[in-house]
This record gives sequence, C-alpha cells and structure tokens, in this order.
Amino acid sequence: MADFETQIRESQTQVANAQAKISELTSRIEAARAKMASGTDVTIEIENATLEDVHAQTDAMNANIAELIMGLDDVTAGFQQDFDEMRSKTGMEKLIGIFSKGKAESMRQERMRTASIDDKLQDLISKSNVIQKLLEGQLAVLDEQKIKVESNLSETLTERETTVGALEKTRADVLDLDPKIIDLENKIAVEQDAAARTALESELAELNARYNELVQQEQVQLAKSQTLERYIEKGKTWLDSLQNQSATQMVLINKLMTDTRQRVVLYDALTKSLKTAQQQDVAHRINEIGVQTDKEAQQAMAAIGAATNSRMADMLEAHEDHMVFARKVLEEKAKADERFMRRFQKIVEKHDKNAYGQP
Amino acid sequence: MSDGKTDLTLDHFTLEDTRVTRRYFDKFEKITGYLGKVAAVMEVEGRYQRHEISAIARTLVALNLTFRTLGYKYHFSGRAAHAGKLTFDRIESGFPVYAELLEAANDAQQADRHLANMPTVEALKDQMVRVIVGDQEIPTKLQYALSQRLYYEELAKGGLFWSRNDPDIQWRGDRDGRRQYFLHWAVYDSQINLPTIYLMELEDTGKVGLPKDERRWPEVMAHLMAQSVGGLKLLTIAKGFDEDFDDLHPKRLRRIHIGPMYSHAFTQQTGPLREVLEKAKSPVGEDWALVWTEEDLRSDRVEEVKSGWFGKVEREIYAIDPFAGRGADTGATALARSIIMPERPFQSLAELKPDGFDDVRKFVVSPTGRVLSYK
Repeated sequence: MADFETQIRESQTQVANAQAKISELTSRIEAARAKMASGTDVTIEIENATLEDVHAQTDAMNANIAELIMGLDDVTAGFQQDFDEMRSKTGMEKLIGIFSKGKAESMRQERMRTASIDDKLQDLISKSNVIQKLLEGQLAVLDEQKIKVESNLSETLTERETTVGALEKTRADVLDLDPKIIDLENKIAVEQDAAARTALESELAELNARYNELVQQEQVQLAKSQTLERYIEKGKTWLDSLQNQSATQMVLINKLMTDTRQRVVLYDALTKSLKTAQQQDVAHRINEIGVQTDKEAQQAMAAIGAATNSRMADMLEAHEDHMVFARKVLEEKAKADERFMRRFQKIVEKHDKNAYGQP
Repeated sequence: MSDGKTDLTLDHFTLEDTRVTRRYFDKFEKITGYLGKVAAVMEVEGRYQRHEISAIARTLVALNLTFRTLGYKYHFSGRAAHAGKLTFDRIESGFPVYAELLEAANDAQQADRHLANMPTVEALKDQMVRVIVGDQEIPTKLQYALSQRLYYEELAKGGLFWSRNDPDIQWRGDRDGRRQYFLHWAVYDSQINLPTIYLMELEDTGKVGLPKDERRWPEVMAHLMAQSVGGLKLLTIAKGFDEDFDDLHPKRLRRIHIGPMYSHAFTQQTGPLREVLEKAKSPVGEDWALVWTEEDLRSDRVEEVKSGWFGKVEREIYAIDPFAGRGADTGATALARSIIMPERPFQSLAELKPDGFDDVRKFVVSPTGRVLSYK
C-alpha cells in the first residue's frame, strides 16, 4: 500500500478531476438550455452530455477515498506498538533484569512516566481532517451543482408546460380550420358566378396557407416539446446521480468522523489507564516506607511491579470489556460501518484480502 | 475509577440546535468572565500569591479566548448546511470534549492559509448588505462564512488554551544558595474533559540554572507534560519527578481543576446539586454552578539516599493528609473545594442545605461584578 501522503495527493487529484467532470456536465446541460432558448436544435448537445464519464470518475474517486479511510487503520496500527511497549520490557531492560530486577523495573517506570501519545493523537486528527476536508469539498460541489440543475430543471418544466399548451392550441386551431375549408370548397363547387368564385377561391387559398402554417407550427412545437422532454429526462437522471453521490459523501464523512472521535477517546483512555495503574501503587507504597535504604525500596518496587502487572492485566481486560460493550458506541459504529459497507463492499473485500490492483 | 473513564463516547453529547449552541457559549463566556474576579478574591483572602494568581489569571484568559473561538466556529451549527456541531461531555464535566481542542489546534496550523483564501470581514459585510437590499433574503451563507473568518482570525491571533500548554518558569530568588523556581503549566484533561492548571515550586541544585539548561529543561517539560494526567495523584507525579531528576527538588505541587460545570439545561448530574439547580429555576444565563477544586501537596522532609556507589541524592518525603484514611486516598496534603454560582442557585442551595456542602467554599457572583464568599 502506498503511504498516506501519496495517497492523499492521489485522492486530491481525483477529487479535482471528478469535480471538473461534474461541473462540465452541468455546464453542458446549461449550455444546451441556453441554446434551446435561442431556438437552435440541441439534440446533439443533449446526447453528448453522457453520465458514464462522470460516473467512472467519481467511482474511482470514492474508491480511493474509501481506501484512504481504511488506510487510517494502518496509520493507527502504530498506536498498538506504543501500547505493547508500555506493557512489556525493552531488550535493555530485560538484559539488566537478569542482574537486578529492581533496576530493570525502575527503568521501565521511568520510561512509562515520559510516555505520551498526544502527538500521535494530534497526527491522527490532522490526517482524518485532511480527508474530511476533501470529502466536504466534494459534497459542497455536489450540492452546488444540485441546486443549479434543480433550478434549471424547474424552469425547463414550466417551459415544457407552455410548449405543450401552445401545441394543443395549434392542434385545436387546425381542427377548427378543417370544417371551414370543407365548407368553402363546397361553396366553390356550387358557385356559378365567376367573380364570386374567384373571391371564394382566393379566400380558400388564404385559409389553406393558414392551415399549412399551423401544421408546420405544430411540427415545430412537437419537436420542441420532444427535445424538452429529452432534456428533462437527462436533467432528472443527472439530479438523481448527484443526489446519490452526495449521499455517498455523507456516508464517508460520517464513517470517518465516528471512527476518528472514537479512536481518540479509546487510545487516550488506554494509554492513561496503563500509566495510572503502573505508577500509582508504586509511588504510594514507597512514600509510606520512606526511603530507608536503597535496597529495600528497590525490592518493594520489584514486588509491587510484579503485582501491578497482573492487576493491570485484569484491569485491561475489564477495561476492554467495557469499551467493547459500551452499547451506544457500538450501535453508532455499527450503523456507520453498515452504511459504509453497503456502499464499499468491493473495496473492503479487496482491502481485507490485500488484493489491490487485481481485477 | 469512575464510569466516565470507561464509557468512552457514551457521555458525549452533540448540540444540534443553533439557539442551544449559542446559549451554551454565552453561558461559558459569562462563567469564564467571573472566574477572573473569583481568582482576585482568592488572592485577597491570601490563598494565592501575586505571581501565582497572575499565572492562573493568564490561563483563565486563554480559556476564555478558546471558548470565544469555539463559539465563532459553531455560531451557525444547525443553521448553515455544512456547519460543524459542538460535542461536549455532559456528565461530570459540561466542557467540550478533548477532541474539539485537538481539532481547533489542527485548524490553527492552517489558519493563515484559510485566511488568505477568504474574503475580509468588510468584504463579507458589504456582500451581506447587497444580498439583504438586493435579494431581500437573509444571507445565511455569508453569515456562516463570516463566522468562519472570525474563527480563523481568533486562531491566528493565538494565546489560546490548547490541549497542552507547556510549562512556563519564573525565578523566585535564591534560598541557602539554592535557586527557587515557580513553574506553571496547564492541560485539558482528556479523561474528564476539564481544564487543569498545575503550579509547582522547585529547588534547583544543578550547575546551570534550569531555564538556561539546554539538557534538563526540555526533558523537564516533556516529563511534566507526559505526567499531567488527571488519573495520577499529585504524590505520584511529584515522586516520579523527584526520582527522575536528581538535582531538582519539587517542594510543592498544586493542581487546580476548573469544573465540572453543572447546568440544569445542559448537563446530567446526580446528587444534591441536581436538586439545587432544579429548585432554583434560574433564568437563562444564571442556571449553572462551577466547581473549583484545588489539590495541594507539600514536602514534609528530605532524606538522603545513596545513588550508585558513591553518590548521594536528596529525596522528598511528602506530607499526606492525616485524615486521608477516612475516605478516598487523595494522595495530597490538602484538598480544597469551592463552588462558584450565581445568586439564584446559591439561594436555593442555602434553603435546601444538602449534606456535604459545609466545607465547600461558595463564591456567589452577580452580573454587577460583585463576588461574595461564604464558608
């Protein structure tokens, strides 16, 4: 797996690409709208605005970010090392322990006193914050686009309504003209007077011209209404897709935030309880004894150290039980996890199998 | 070990509503404002010396700034679409959770970059006027942008109370040829989510003065910060410090816990205070009580201990509260509790007279700025 920084950079580029694609599509749809308003045929523009490109791009991006979130797990694995170190003795301490148990124990005490994971916690927060900013930026873009497309769509819907209304009126007009023309033709058929007949014929010609004009208008309006319909279809699909994408972002953000918060609390609690358990007893017993002699103190320390170790193990177990079964925590985590899993099943599978790059 | 430590995020509570969030920060602005006055009263009573109180006051001001900063950050939570929400610990704390401070620290590192990309306050206000007059709309988005701008400005100004505030050292003169130092530092305790101030009096027998000693001073700072854990008793901290630094002799160590803050509207509490606050039926802004606990550990005597084959070092033996055996082992020489509250809750406390409040010092604050102290 690539290191965190590289992966962040990769994700940033992908987010930028996806955002460019998304805005491009929206602007293409908008351009089509503008052209349509000026009466040009826009069928080609609409057909060109394909979603597949965008989807491929955002899928790649989401996959990368999901991986990044799981990559945080690997970052936090570093904490485990700290905990283990706090619980066990270093090589040097073991070596010294062969000669003097007390000295080894006091060395470990000293190491324990200076141990701190605050920097690591801050690092965890800052890393998860970077990812969160990425996601929130993406979410903001999606929402902005959604609003644009929505307003655009509602305008188009009204326009289509008026177009359909006009179309129906034209059709009614055409129907109205029909009996008039038949009537006139009948009149011409029975008319004997040449002058009157000419007048009637020119009237008929006029009506016919009007009829043709109306029929043509009907065609134009029909075409316009169909284009609008197609446009609306496209717009609706785009809106759906935007909505879906923004839901995905929210799931990712939610998962990330719950995870990070809980990690901070968990690691912090674990370190501090390790520290507290390890030191408290020793310090107190020694203060009570006073420091009569070096030897006595060190003996006491070794004895207490051993006792504390077993007590600490018990406490850790109890602690872990508590942590694992903290009901609400689990529920919330389960919820976030479930939503996350539903959307990122495949990536999770790959991550678990460690099978990146395989089809 | 209390439950708060093992339940993890169970006590954490997120404020969803804009109005409630603002009320929460208004309350804290008032409380931290009163704290300075209370500290002044404590100085008059002789509980602290001038240099101690100035260290405490500085920390309190920093705390106030941190709350103001967080207030800007969350001014529009629940109103603007992407505004964050404040999480605070509602059991035995009432303060924002530790992670909030870590996040703020993280934001502070990037404050300059954010500020460079944001329109200025004037520009935002100008745009707001345009939206109000032109579109006849409430410019929520711009208002949110302004709140974030102010947030980053506060962060950039600095001087805030962080999750860790490294030690500051003052030379207090020489006694018997030994340098006397006064150290103070503060942490935001991550286990109980409360700000904690540490004060230490130190004798130095090293060759080079401690603040100028490039070897010991960074070690001392790292040691103290790593040991500033609420779960450790003062005795444990002082003892460990004494052992790890042979030529430094901690004579007195004090720890001040600011909080918990109880409020009927926000926090969940058990015990008599719950009833007191409920009975008081205080109006908004006066519905709170803040606990101020001071632990004090003094050195009783010094013993000489062999170190290695030839050397000898001094080790402090600390005086422990003679009554410590009766209840919980405090690991300190003395423990003093105070409670700071407005008039209404105090009235209700005086009427109800619950057990366990007799030896608690009560500071009653009023909006006029007067602080009264009752035994």
